[in-house]
Amino acid sequence: METTLIVGGIAVLLIVFFVAQYNRLIRLNVAVDEAFAQIEVQLKRRADLIPNLVETVKGYATHEQSTFDAVITARAKATTASTVADVSAADGMLTQALRGLLAVAEAYPDLKASANFMSLQEELSTTENKVAFSRQFYNDSVRLLNTAVKTIPTNFFAGFAKVDEREFYEVDEATNRNAPNVSF
Amino acid sequence: MATFSFRAAQSSNKRKTFLLLGAMGALTWLVLLSIFTYLGTSSAAIVPFAVGLTLISVWGSYYGSDKLVLTMTGAKQIQESDNPKLVCLIQEITIASGLPMPKVAIVEDSAPNAFATGRNPEHALIAFTTGILDAMDRDQLQGVIAHEMAHVGNRDTLVSAVAATTAGVIALISDLLMRMMWFGGGRRDRDSNGNPIMLVVSLVVLILAPIAAVMLKSAISRKRESLADATAVAFTRNPAGLRSALEVLAADSTVVQQKSTAVAHIWIESPLDGKSVSKMFASHPPIQERIATLRAMESLN
Repeated sequence: METTLIVGGIAVLLIVFFVAQYNRLIRLNVAVDEAFAQIEVQLKRRADLIPNLVETVKGYATHEQSTFDAVITARAKATTASTVADVSAADGMLTQALRGLLAVAEAYPDLKASANFMSLQEELSTTENKVAFSRQFYNDSVRLLNTAVKTIPTNFFAGFAKVDEREFYEVDEATNRNAPNVSF
Repeated sequence: MATFSFRAAQSSNKRKTFLLLGAMGALTWLVLLSIFTYLGTSSAAIVPFAVGLTLISVWGSYYGSDKLVLTMTGAKQIQESDNPKLVCLIQEITIASGLPMPKVAIVEDSAPNAFATGRNPEHALIAFTTGILDAMDRDQLQGVIAHEMAHVGNRDTLVSAVAATTAGVIALISDLLMRMMWFGGGRRDRDSNGNPIMLVVSLVVLILAPIAAVMLKSAISRKRESLADATAVAFTRNPAGLRSALEVLAADSTVVQQKSTAVAHIWIESPLDGKSVSKMFASHPPIQERIATLRAMESLN
């Protein structure tokens, strides 16, 4: 009688332990998905800002067609990308193109002084920060998941929960991380 | 101050909070033991009375903290349209931290300061004085917001409510006891053959316990401030922003108009005059120490 109680107790404890490990892995995996969705939301918001920004700059700087084309192409690529690697590559390209556009704007004092451009620039700068922070949050979530997938005891359950290591969101070059700096 | 990363700083401050909370538990146990030694078990009725009274007062304010603090500090809640730049900055930190968007409030006060409260991240409220919004640039304000959001994420309203409850119970018990002894009632109900050394020790414990409890409470508050600084760096990865914000606060000598000690611990910079409070009882670590720690983190990048 007593031994069955002990065995039963151990079995229950084991089941609770298994369920906890399994759930932890699933939770971490869902968190990574959520974090990636957040990056996409922020990138989408940035993409939505671009036509407006390009139009505003065009109003003052008519002879910079190549810069505008670069931004438009990069934006088109960024809006169609879906895998982590594609999204991060397109994101890097767009950031580069936007930097070119803002550099062009530097040469036109009237443009820089216009209220419309200034509010767009502020919006762009907060969106760049949001993109950067959502990347960072994604990478933190991936770090937690990958650690769990590789360390005892959760690593024993990774195959069973069908949870695998996920890829980090890499930014091509370190300078890309510096969003255009606007102070207020 | 040794150089260490924000992750090391976070775990060290968390560990120390646990140790301090453990010490508070031990202190409470010691106080109870002393009461039983000194007054006998029949006087134990004051314990549930003290616990109940403190629970009601502290946890009532903990539960309604977001609303209560608004009235105590005169903060006015704002909408996104009132200050879109501030709200955008806060949104950036909610993305970096994965926390829900808190309520935002403004205190009309020229002294630069800020605080966070709320019983959980879903009911969080962060407030800024008009002074801090005027005095700080984007990066500095971002550091301050990250510090406040770190308090929200680390559930510091809960931690300080636990600390305040224990300190409150101990203070109330020793207060009641002093009154009972004043009227000579205390030892009536126990036999006089107790160990006299134990009686003296118990009495000393009961007299010193409230002071020790307040010191422990302040120590916990200081650890939570250091933890919030480290967590803020984890959110922004930019120790320089918070560091220069603290330098602005250190250079500024004006203090927030209302100086109630009841809400002193919630501000980013202590609103009480630093010199009049000894370090053991301060709710915040010295601001120069916090700046030095953040500088050490900067040198890592």
